[in-house]
Amino acid sequence: MPAPSLRELQETFWRALAERPGASGSPALARPLLEVIPPSERLTPSDRLGIYAGMYFWRIVDALREDFPRVAAVLGDEGFADLARGYLARHPSSHPSLRHAGGALPDFIADQPPPGAPAFLADLARLERARVDAFDALDVAALRVDDLRAVPATDWPALRFAAVPAVAVLVSDWPVDRVWDDPAARDVPPERTTLRVWREGFAVYHARMDHAEARALARVLAGRSFAAVCDVLDQPETAGALLLRWIEDGLLRRF
Amino acid sequence: MFPYLGHGVGLRPPHFPRVMEGSARADWFEVISENFMIRGGRPLAVLERARAAAPIVLHGVSLSLGSTDPLNATYLDELRGLIARFDPAWVSDHLCWTSVGGHYAHDLLPLPFTEEALRHVVGRVVAVQERLGRRILVENVSSYLTYTHSTMPEWEFLAAVAEQADCGILLDVNNIYVSAVNQGFSADAFVDAMPPGRVAQIHLAGHSDKGTHLLDTHDGPVIPAVWALHRRAVRRCGRVSTLVEWDDHIPDFEVILAEAERARAAEGEALDEATDACAVSA
Repeated sequence: MPAPSLRELQETFWRALAERPGASGSPALARPLLEVIPPSERLTPSDRLGIYAGMYFWRIVDALREDFPRVAAVLGDEGFADLARGYLARHPSSHPSLRHAGGALPDFIADQPPPGAPAFLADLARLERARVDAFDALDVAALRVDDLRAVPATDWPALRFAAVPAVAVLVSDWPVDRVWDDPAARDVPPERTTLRVWREGFAVYHARMDHAEARALARVLAGRSFAAVCDVLDQPETAGALLLRWIEDGLLRRF
Repeated sequence: MFPYLGHGVGLRPPHFPRVMEGSARADWFEVISENFMIRGGRPLAVLERARAAAPIVLHGVSLSLGSTDPLNATYLDELRGLIARFDPAWVSDHLCWTSVGGHYAHDLLPLPFTEEALRHVVGRVVAVQERLGRRILVENVSSYLTYTHSTMPEWEFLAAVAEQADCGILLDVNNIYVSAVNQGFSADAFVDAMPPGRVAQIHLAGHSDKGTHLLDTHDGPVIPAVWALHRRAVRRCGRVSTLVEWDDHIPDFEVILAEAERARAAEGEALDEATDACAVSA
């Protein structure tokens, strides 16, 4: 076989790594490449290429496990590796940083749930991904209580707020926050759950919201006025307490 | 030219609390560039703090200098952003390819050492240096296979890239040792072929013996044979900024600092040996 061009070599090498990620044995796809790899004293060309195939797969599996530790705990080592095998075959990394490698994993789980996996798994993955995104979201100075003290009472109804970039809201039909606390709790019954995820300082948190808080925060995040936020609450004075809690948690900035 | 910074420490997440409390002290810090290509949060705050305490160096793994894909303009813009914000003493990446067809392997994949690859890599290094407005360092990688159509040894390829692209060399003596054992070449010959004026940084690290091959795992102390190679490199190249890499089973900061001090002592001894040898030959 004539020597491959650099482009041909790289394309063949990539197919050998990525078309059947984590597969044992030497994929037939790699045959043209194996012809230009000499054996070493102790390894065949296929063994040598296999070292790279293994490193490719397991490095990304490790990165995914770091970003989705609860999903990994629910599936176990073997189940998580199987999930990663299917995921990487469909969604090979297309970003220079491994941080983005798991971006499509929650949707992949929703589309192709691993056999026998609990129904909450995709939403648990969404929660874990939201926490990763909050961890390194853009730093923005959050609103402080003192900032509002200067606002005259007459201006309050028209006040508008926005969330800082590290805030996310997650709605699930499952109590994924309970599973996050205890991934062994696989048999939880369905329960409509709304969570907010946020970062305070450098630490990421999530907390369950009741119906009133969820509706009010949705209005805040939609850029509605404080008066419109009060409208969705049975007791308007609740709005003040909620606003104070959100500000203390560092969720908001001025619109 | 690239400054001499002494003996640095690779800054990894387990050490971040030490940086934030101000107790992580070293001649300089090396960080993985891609880990800081983010929008905000703790890692960037840590890097701000580290940079206030000591010089830093940005060490990349995804520049993909050997790839036949176009250079990733977004990546280069992000790297430029980090350079502008943190003013690193230098920027380095690897003599390998990590991406093709827009996909990233997140691994340092081996190049064939051919004239075609040489021309290609030289052009890429020149383009990157123009884009970044500075010269970079290029590092030799550990490898587990070779290609029958390579027409020159790795050391000749590396030296030619540095010469033709006018870049510096980050000489990883552990990678030389690992590849030398795996490919059956002389590690000494590799070191002896390095152009002294271009070697601006040395990496040391531990590796694992898998029985059939050595694996570059960065998970333990440097072995005596690699220390010996380091001394050979110092005798040839003189004082070079040096760093012991540790990326897995990362020990306490003090253990890594102790390895940096060991490298400092070894450098001193090697320089003395070189001076003695000159005196004898004179």
